[in-house]
Amino acid sequence: MIELILMPLAAFVIGLAMVLMMRRIGARLQRRVGPPLLQPLWDIIKLHGKETQTSHGLIHELGIVMAIGGFVAAVTLMPLPGMNGLAEQGGLIALVYMMMIPSLGLALGVGQCANPNGSIGISRALTAMLAYDIPMVIVVFGVAFFYGSTSLVQIIDAQQAGGFATWGIAEMPLLAFAGLFAMQAMLGKQPFEIYVAPAEIATGPMVEMGGKFLGGLFIMQCFQLYAAGALYTLLFLGGGENWLTFLIKVFAVVAIPMSIAFLFPRYRTEDVVRLVWKWPAMIGLLGIAFLMY
Amino acid sequence: MTELIKTPRTGETLPVKAGKRTNPLANVFDELVRFAQSRSLFMLHYCTGCGAIELPPSMTSRFDMERLGIQPMVSPRQADILLVTGYVSVKTLKRIILTYEQMGSPKYVIGICSCTVNGGMYWQSYATAKKLNDYMPVDIYIAGCMPRPEAVIAGLRELMENIRQGKADSWKDYYRHYDHYLGHQQRLFGETWQTPTDVIAEARHYGLFGPDTLGTHTALLEQHQRPLEALEMKVDIPELMARR
Repeated sequence: MIELILMPLAAFVIGLAMVLMMRRIGARLQRRVGPPLLQPLWDIIKLHGKETQTSHGLIHELGIVMAIGGFVAAVTLMPLPGMNGLAEQGGLIALVYMMMIPSLGLALGVGQCANPNGSIGISRALTAMLAYDIPMVIVVFGVAFFYGSTSLVQIIDAQQAGGFATWGIAEMPLLAFAGLFAMQAMLGKQPFEIYVAPAEIATGPMVEMGGKFLGGLFIMQCFQLYAAGALYTLLFLGGGENWLTFLIKVFAVVAIPMSIAFLFPRYRTEDVVRLVWKWPAMIGLLGIAFLMY
Repeated sequence: MTELIKTPRTGETLPVKAGKRTNPLANVFDELVRFAQSRSLFMLHYCTGCGAIELPPSMTSRFDMERLGIQPMVSPRQADILLVTGYVSVKTLKRIILTYEQMGSPKYVIGICSCTVNGGMYWQSYATAKKLNDYMPVDIYIAGCMPRPEAVIAGLRELMENIRQGKADSWKDYYRHYDHYLGHQQRLFGETWQTPTDVIAEARHYGLFGPDTLGTHTALLEQHQRPLEALEMKVDIPELMARR
């Protein structure tokens, strides 16, 4: 029971460090110093401490709760070193389902803001979700097919049995590559960040969010970074034998899309769909074909 | 021009309640929030004039504002600081006031360049608003034509220090002396000027309603105020309408 509280808490703290890492990597690539150590935390405290909290109605507020809650639920389904949470009862299918809820919650919340920029942004975000979910599902179920189980606990045990040689990335390199590609789109990082587009549609879904609503989205971002990194680590990098290796793996995984992101401009929405349905989906299917024969 | 017509402003700015609460834990909490507010500032740069050209250097690699926790944001709902960079024409001022009223408090205004201080080189222009703080409370002025990035960052640091000490509360002044600011706005835009934000109701909501919130100018506003209506949705494409 205590694990259900500790796991989201750990995810949040790791997520804060990941946001810091993302901003630091961006700063270093642009030859800047970057934000100080506790900057993500100050941002969140400041946003929740604002005196004006402009709400656009009940669904606006519930949408943010749903966006965070979806990730909190997803995080309890991912086993940490020494903590299994709901992983044994939940499994991969519930996890994939939970990872989609935040986007839908955000869409509900943004819908009530009635800001045209927000509506454009969220329609693009949902289209992008449609795009990256196809390769994501292919990859996740490819892994489940290979290990013959949808239980993350069993998948990790199978990977940890023989060291690096039995890791997912060594057994199924094509699926691992497709997963990395899909993760870039899932995090909404640069070649695929058309739905945020600060200069064109004023950060899209976030345009009407101020105060605690934006603070909620900042918290969601922490969970999102952690969830993506942890899912990839569990599927392909053998999970965590202990906390040290787990953290190293998770941060290394998240650092890859971050480092790629700041070097690219962005694709248009239809190009995102075309690209993501073509390359990672194809590579993923090819990977499954190799596993079958 | 600004001296000729002066709106009377009864009473001085109320002394700020030092913000000390009796509960020591609440004090610690207030300190923490104020510190976070000073270390994390999202700025909305309303680039009206030439001063905007000094902002990219202060944001990018050479001077790097992000190490102070200052980063640009794009919509007034998300922002804490409104940067007015350069001369403000009468038409622009309307937009600035709309933007300012939509921002969530606590909010801070920074006037960059001499033009926002006293009109600068546009002093004789008929179309330029001279003193920005006639129309909205300004926290910090950064004078210069144009101020270099060092000066911009020095000004921002001063604002951060003021926020940390709880002194940067000029946004409350807008509610307490709304009549004064509205008077200046009406002088430029005419008596029928109104914004979508109900500032008087907001003043009541924040407990900042004072003796100077209402006055002759707000009476004029009430007289001319029209209720806000949603924009009419219509499609002006002849082929589409013919098909209906």
